[in-house]
Amino acid sequence: MTIPARFTEPADTTVEAPPKAKRKAAVRREVGRSIPRLESHAKVDGSAEYIYHLRLPGMLQGKICRSTVPHGRIVRIDASAALAIEGVHAVITGEDIRTLIPDPYYGPAFHDQPILAIGKVRYVGEPVAVVLAADLHVAEEAADQVVVEYEPLEPVFDEVAATKPGAPIIHDSLRPAGMFPDLQYLKGRSGTNVALDARVLHGDVEKGFAEADQVFENVFRSRKVVHATFEPTVSLAELNGSNGLTIHTSSQSPSYVRAEVSRLLGWPENRVRVRTAFLGGSFGAKLYIKLEALVAACALLVRKPVRIGLTMEEEFYTITKHGATVRIKTGMAKDGRIVAREVETWWNGGAYADIGPRVSQKSGFTAAGPYDIENVSLINYAVYTNDPPAGALRGFGISQIVWAYECQNDIIARSLGIDPLEFRRRNILHDGRPHATGTIMTNAEIDEVLDRLSDRMHWDVLFDHGSGPVRRGRGLAIGFKACIAPTTSVAVVNVYGDGSCCVSCSTVDMGQGSDTAMAQIAAETLGISTETVRVIHPDTDVTPYDMATLGSRSTYHMGNAVRLAAEDARAQLLRIAAATLQTDIEELEYRDGAVISRSGARMTMRGLMLARFGMQAGTVIGMGTFTPPYTKPDPRTGQSPQITPYWMLAGAAAEIEVDTETGRIRVTKLVNVGDVGCAINPAIAKRQLNGAGTMQLGFTLFEEMRFNEGQVINASLADYKIPGMLDVPEDLSAELVEFPHEHGPFGAKGVGETGMFSVSPAIANALCDAIGVRIMELPLTPERVLRAIRESENRPLESE
Amino acid sequence: MKNFELVEPSTIDEAVALLDPEDTGVRAIAGGTALMLMMKTRLFQPTRLVSLRRLNGALRTVRTDENGGLRIGALTTLTELEHSPLVAKAVPVMSRALRTLSNVRIRNVATIGGHLAHGDPHMDLPPILLTLGARVRAVSSRGERWIDVADLFLGYYQTAIARDELIAEVDVPLQPVNVHTWYAKFTALSADDWPTVGTAVWYRLESGVIAEARVAVSAATERPMRVPSAEAALTGSSPTVQMFAKAADAAADEVHPLADIRGSAAYKREMVRVHVRRALEHASRARSTEAE
Repeated sequence: MTIPARFTEPADTTVEAPPKAKRKAAVRREVGRSIPRLESHAKVDGSAEYIYHLRLPGMLQGKICRSTVPHGRIVRIDASAALAIEGVHAVITGEDIRTLIPDPYYGPAFHDQPILAIGKVRYVGEPVAVVLAADLHVAEEAADQVVVEYEPLEPVFDEVAATKPGAPIIHDSLRPAGMFPDLQYLKGRSGTNVALDARVLHGDVEKGFAEADQVFENVFRSRKVVHATFEPTVSLAELNGSNGLTIHTSSQSPSYVRAEVSRLLGWPENRVRVRTAFLGGSFGAKLYIKLEALVAACALLVRKPVRIGLTMEEEFYTITKHGATVRIKTGMAKDGRIVAREVETWWNGGAYADIGPRVSQKSGFTAAGPYDIENVSLINYAVYTNDPPAGALRGFGISQIVWAYECQNDIIARSLGIDPLEFRRRNILHDGRPHATGTIMTNAEIDEVLDRLSDRMHWDVLFDHGSGPVRRGRGLAIGFKACIAPTTSVAVVNVYGDGSCCVSCSTVDMGQGSDTAMAQIAAETLGISTETVRVIHPDTDVTPYDMATLGSRSTYHMGNAVRLAAEDARAQLLRIAAATLQTDIEELEYRDGAVISRSGARMTMRGLMLARFGMQAGTVIGMGTFTPPYTKPDPRTGQSPQITPYWMLAGAAAEIEVDTETGRIRVTKLVNVGDVGCAINPAIAKRQLNGAGTMQLGFTLFEEMRFNEGQVINASLADYKIPGMLDVPEDLSAELVEFPHEHGPFGAKGVGETGMFSVSPAIANALCDAIGVRIMELPLTPERVLRAIRESENRPLESE
Repeated sequence: MKNFELVEPSTIDEAVALLDPEDTGVRAIAGGTALMLMMKTRLFQPTRLVSLRRLNGALRTVRTDENGGLRIGALTTLTELEHSPLVAKAVPVMSRALRTLSNVRIRNVATIGGHLAHGDPHMDLPPILLTLGARVRAVSSRGERWIDVADLFLGYYQTAIARDELIAEVDVPLQPVNVHTWYAKFTALSADDWPTVGTAVWYRLESGVIAEARVAVSAATERPMRVPSAEAALTGSSPTVQMFAKAADAAADEVHPLADIRGSAAYKREMVRVHVRRALEHASRARSTEAE
């Protein structure tokens, strides 16, 4: 077996273990520098633009009237009382939308979600009508006065129950959207709540179990949580000339919004302009269509600008993270090698598919973990229920899956008496070995991630578990993700007459620092300083197509597009100089706004412009397009030789204290290690890991949407708590594993989600290490922990 | 939200005159941290809000009275109390509790008057004030009266303050000598969450024996309340770990916790047991008020 060459310097391709030292890349001035974010000052002094603050002249504010039942037929909508309130401009219902858009159903996977409910509602909180008024408070008051009468239907909330025969059917029929190439395999269906069952078959899992010395089987669950972005979802629409529409929106996917709104309206895409600004957080909440189709329809119906901005409370009824039930069965050989693994996962997608099928399929195919297992069977069900819709949340389902396999790996390791770290070392999928999908693992530094975890945790040093009521434990976990494919990013780099430059791209800076990263890549390529580069925010009239800002794909995809665009602009400038100076391009270099030849000749920007345009002004436009290769998996077996452009490897380790009298866990140390290829901006990359780690800490310890018959009973930040400063571990650290990826821009891979993957099982494994109690359901609330402790002591707490 | 009237009287007499005993939509507003949450969820739809912000001068003070007790103006913010040297000296248990009360943004605007008048059982100071024997001065157009904090909380979000009354002042009496106090709170979700259980303890030693004991529980129960059975268990005993455990068991048996998203009744009962015991243990280690 040979391993592909993958380092910038020649490496011995027969060496199995990767070199420990970081290889030195070429000398760089901009990439690899921890430059403070370009927008830092604007965010501190309040001048940074957010769509939530935008007000348009003559605008109406919309307030959504929402379903109060989880499943029911709409018998009657009576808006007369609402319309009688002074200041109410209009009340719009699903039937009104239909006069404009005959088929008003949208969605990236299935066209299943109506702009406003038509005939039926499928979850508590579903938009049924919109009240429009110049005064938001009037709209709010009137929304309470819209009377909707429902004929209740039986609801189903549990993702496993919803797949059983006789369960209430939530959608009569399903129509695939057909927009994204990776979702082309979705089929039209009816009479089922299962939107998709995606399989991966590798080896012979039955044979594997038969030959195994021991078989372990467990079920792990994660509950629904929310993104809780500080800027709630907001969209505004206004008419643009006689036949156009402009949508200002807090969206991660402006190009998609343009395409989908155009499709709904039956318009060509060039009549819809979509623009965004900074996003006050997003994490997957602001993808695809959220409020955009609704404000567009309202604005066209009333011929006035319309704004709908959600409250934090409404966010809980808009999009959530998937709850999941994972059954995992693992066959072990005596020597501690995993020989077979079968994982069956039910994804609670809520009432509308949103991007749930992609979450199910993309995370699902990694469900056996980053391990070398001969026989694998993975099956994933994307399930409709009467909960609010579930979509992407920083990791597209990966953390629900890692929760299962990394907890079970610890159960197995403990049962076999193997150190958890050693157990993973024995089973990891090394570079050059095929993953269960058949794709070869490359540019994936899982060994190094384990080494760094071990070093940081002093894993080989005896650990003090404490005594008395507070016990200590430590645990670790690793996880991985395959970046989404196939997707495209397009960028334009515009070099002006004075040598200054703008990057036009549709990557949305939602707090992750993409503006700074793109500027660093352009600056590195053009030999100028990052601080002088301006990044133009997404505006589909101006910035070219990008699939979306999601799935940790921007640095790699858009980063490459920006690099290519800058190289294109530089090549054009060199060609101008070469023609003028009568020399070969190879003799020339572009740096600091001038072309310099080896012989010492120099052409300034003014000179280049004069040569090209006949005057000292003009512009040079470079363009870059990047689409990594991809092979569609076989729908029957999930096999593909090229399922992803890159793998993201992650590891986390935690030291905890658990109060055995209250069940409360305090994480005292959290280490997050991410394989990032090469960090464009190391400080930002580390903050991504720590930020994600802290976010997942909340999902691990206490965040959980609580429901009563489909109603969220803690739908506010007063009762749905997210981590605050005092919850951040005293010893919180992130570590970057940097081996340049052969196709990444300057070797970079994505990092936005990496820090989420492994935190929950690391903490649960630490809990087990501390007190021998295993909890298989997230979050690890004090009550859940105390109940488990008391069960293990044979003195259970009363159930109520 | 419907339109409502916002008035900003400049004297307390004007303020109470603007309250309306007949109209449930009329409320006084100080820091607004609790009332605004109720308005956002439309649990409360005001017809008139009587803002107390212009009354700041007279009602935003902390002083020592002629008996050596503390007099706290109702509009004193929780941050001001947290940093008050007078509070720290007289009742350090309060200063300590304030440091972990919600978060700094809330403490900067929330006032002690609002903290008490809201009647929310999840507040940190009521159980402490119960054990300190505090009282409040309520004023209305009809005059003024003193209400013991022990008589202030009638039920879930229900207080003895009439609709046309305002809390003007809180009186924390000078504590006797040899008193040990502690407040232990437990948050089940984030660190700065509302307490799931709050327990305040207070006992006075005479010749090494507990001569008088006060134990109060909040958050888990429908209102902050004293727990007589725990107090009885302590009185006349030596402050030993065994006695503390006994008192904690008595408290756990006596309370009727309410289940909510922060815990079941059974779990909260256990947390009462653990935290009454821990509060007593901490109190026994904490420095007492000075012996004569």
